Amino acid sequence: MVVVSEVFKSLFEGFGVSLEIFALTLLFAIPLGLVISFGSMSKFKPLKYFVKFIVWIIRGTPLMLQLIIIFYGPGLLATWAANSGSANPAILWMSSWQVMDRFLAVIVSFVINYACYFSEIFRGGIEGIPKGQYEAGQVLGMTKTQTFFKVVLMQVVKRIIPPMSNEIITLVKDTSLARVISVYELIWAGQTFIKSSGILWPLLATGIFYLAFNGILTIVFGKIEKKLDYYKN
Amino acid sequence: MSILEVKDLKKSFGKTEVLKGVSFELNEGEVLSIIGSSGSGKTTILRCINQLETADSGYISVDGVVFFDGNQHKENAAEKRKRQLLVGLVFQEFHLFPQYNVLDNVTLAAKLLAKERADYKENKKEIFADIESKAKEILAKVGLSEKLGNYPCELSGGQKQRVSIARALMLEPKILFFDEPTSALDPELTGEILKVIKSLAEDKVTMVIVTHEMSFAKAVSSKVIFMDNGVIEEAGTPEEVFDNPKSERTKAFISKFDD
Amino acid sequence: MKKKILAIVMSVVLVFGIVCAFTACGDDKQDDGQKIVSDMEYIKEKGTMVIGITEYAPMNFKAEDGSWTGFDTEFAEAVCEKLGVKAEFFVLSDWDQKVNELNSKAIDVVWNGMTITDELKQSMSITDPYVVNAQVIVCKAENAEKYNSLDAIKDAKIAVETGSAGEDCVEGFANVTAVAAQSDALLEVESGAADVCVIDITMANAMTGKGTSYADLTKTASLNEEQYGIGCRKDSDTCDEINKVIDELMADGTLDKLADKYELTLVK
Repeated sequence: MVVVSEVFKSLFEGFGVSLEIFALTLLFAIPLGLVISFGSMSKFKPLKYFVKFIVWIIRGTPLMLQLIIIFYGPGLLATWAANSGSANPAILWMSSWQVMDRFLAVIVSFVINYACYFSEIFRGGIEGIPKGQYEAGQVLGMTKTQTFFKVVLMQVVKRIIPPMSNEIITLVKDTSLARVISVYELIWAGQTFIKSSGILWPLLATGIFYLAFNGILTIVFGKIEKKLDYYKN
Repeated sequence: MSILEVKDLKKSFGKTEVLKGVSFELNEGEVLSIIGSSGSGKTTILRCINQLETADSGYISVDGVVFFDGNQHKENAAEKRKRQLLVGLVFQEFHLFPQYNVLDNVTLAAKLLAKERADYKENKKEIFADIESKAKEILAKVGLSEKLGNYPCELSGGQKQRVSIARALMLEPKILFFDEPTSALDPELTGEILKVIKSLAEDKVTMVIVTHEMSFAKAVSSKVIFMDNGVIEEAGTPEEVFDNPKSERTKAFISKFDD
Repeated sequence: MKKKILAIVMSVVLVFGIVCAFTACGDDKQDDGQKIVSDMEYIKEKGTMVIGITEYAPMNFKAEDGSWTGFDTEFAEAVCEKLGVKAEFFVLSDWDQKVNELNSKAIDVVWNGMTITDELKQSMSITDPYVVNAQVIVCKAENAEKYNSLDAIKDAKIAVETGSAGEDCVEGFANVTAVAAQSDALLEVESGAADVCVIDITMANAMTGKGTSYADLTKTASLNEEQYGIGCRKDSDTCDEINKVIDELMADGTLDKLADKYELTLVK
């Protein structure tokens, strides 16, 4: 028989990996998202449209597909390149490509995917700030950098907290997709018991972890919203 | 020498010619009112002088510093910013910073500016104390001593506009510009703003006011310009423009406000 | 202005990268000059053979102490020892990705009671068969009479593992649900979501009937005979090398002992 403590030991192990994916994705996707949002607002048209094109591709395809392409893609191209027997330097170089670490592939895919979603939220937040705020900064002799950091940024933060909290809660649940490229996370930890012992409840119990963690996040975001509630935009 | 010189200023937005060659001068301590119907180009003049728009051609100088010279115009962010400090602008819609309280709204720009002083690091505390006491003085003058810790969303329109005037005064501009300062306010609140501007006029602050308040313009101005369709239709003392207008268009415009 | 230049440079670099990646294909074949490393040499150079498995009794499953055991586990370890490489087992979450896993070199072989099919032969090189298997119908014991042939399950709700030989058996039937693993197919039947499932007989023997997790399930009819093989990268020499070792292990009786231990039938 399967001991309950054993099940929870495995579930906590899987949850640890899910948390790692969550934290690393946030850590890198937020700054990258900011850079992408600046790109999508660039006055230099080719860059703007290029960035918008990339964002369209990433937001327009499932994260699951992106995981598969990013993990298997380089290795599959290498095999194809090696079999083609071509002497072209680009192809020779390609034949030396290798699959990356599975966990790294998960982080890369998640960061790119979420950075694109975040960038659209940031863009909406930044573009939603009235032009008058920038003009007021300018006529008061502030530099553009000062105006952005001292005047605009705080207002953007207040505007983007609700959509960001939505996206971040989705991220918690999306970590379960890591299983597609065989990265052991919470859902898989739960499913293992179906395969080995034919018991279903560990899988259902994973829901408790997601709920508890998202409960904490909801409270944290509620607190932040309240803290920024002292003024109205 | 005049403190503000504008010569043959032209500006188009797309195919619409908003300013068709505007010239005027202003001496230190004078108050200029610009009147005219909406769309006549009044606000665009202010925005060009305050570097929020770049004119197509013409010439602007403030206190002897060339702001714009259509013939040899070049953009340099540092110089542009230096020029910016010579002028101040009060917006129709206030544009206060919502996340800062009244005192911080007024001191923010001055504090950022102070960072460029050579003695900033050693004397930071004294510098900030000076800035704050100066801001409180100005806020007292506009009657807001009680509201230092309040946020803009807690103020009435009239109070907001007074904060915005205090914010502009804080940097001691050579000329203070007002872009329809009472147009966004309920009628019963315009009085408090006009009173503040009047007291500034008594202190000999050089001002340019775009306004629809005819009787106020008449009372406070030393010069009046009537703009119509991108050109100065008539200019002169308040008495000349309001009581003895020469142009038919001026007459027609002023008669609308007589009741 | 600086920003503009930076933006132009960035765009040019990106476009150049993409063009480099996609053009310049189709040059003439030119074999000399480049040292060709065979698949077996590649694995030997690494020193480990990464073996893709799923948890699947009696082929690969976890012993009481948490270590891997089972017929394929012991078999693979014996083969690796002869080849002079270390066996490293990697659990795949999705059996459907096995070809991608092989071709991208994420794993080196698929060795997990894999049924040899013509379809699979097109995407990988498969060793000589080593164990005989059959696809069987599994249902609740009380329905055993009802679902005792392929004809009898035509209109039943059927669960199969996606991409498995069992799925091929019931191709074209009305109510087929493909699930991620054979163990999931059993769960479908146990929970009542499906009436029957079609899975490997080895799995059915190990996981149904008295004393197992699915005591109330039973196997009824065998649908077809089939054989297990080890999947290697297409056209790789690893396949031949493993075949040589299998012949040795057949000859010295190692495989017979293993087959007895796990109640399997060898291909002779």
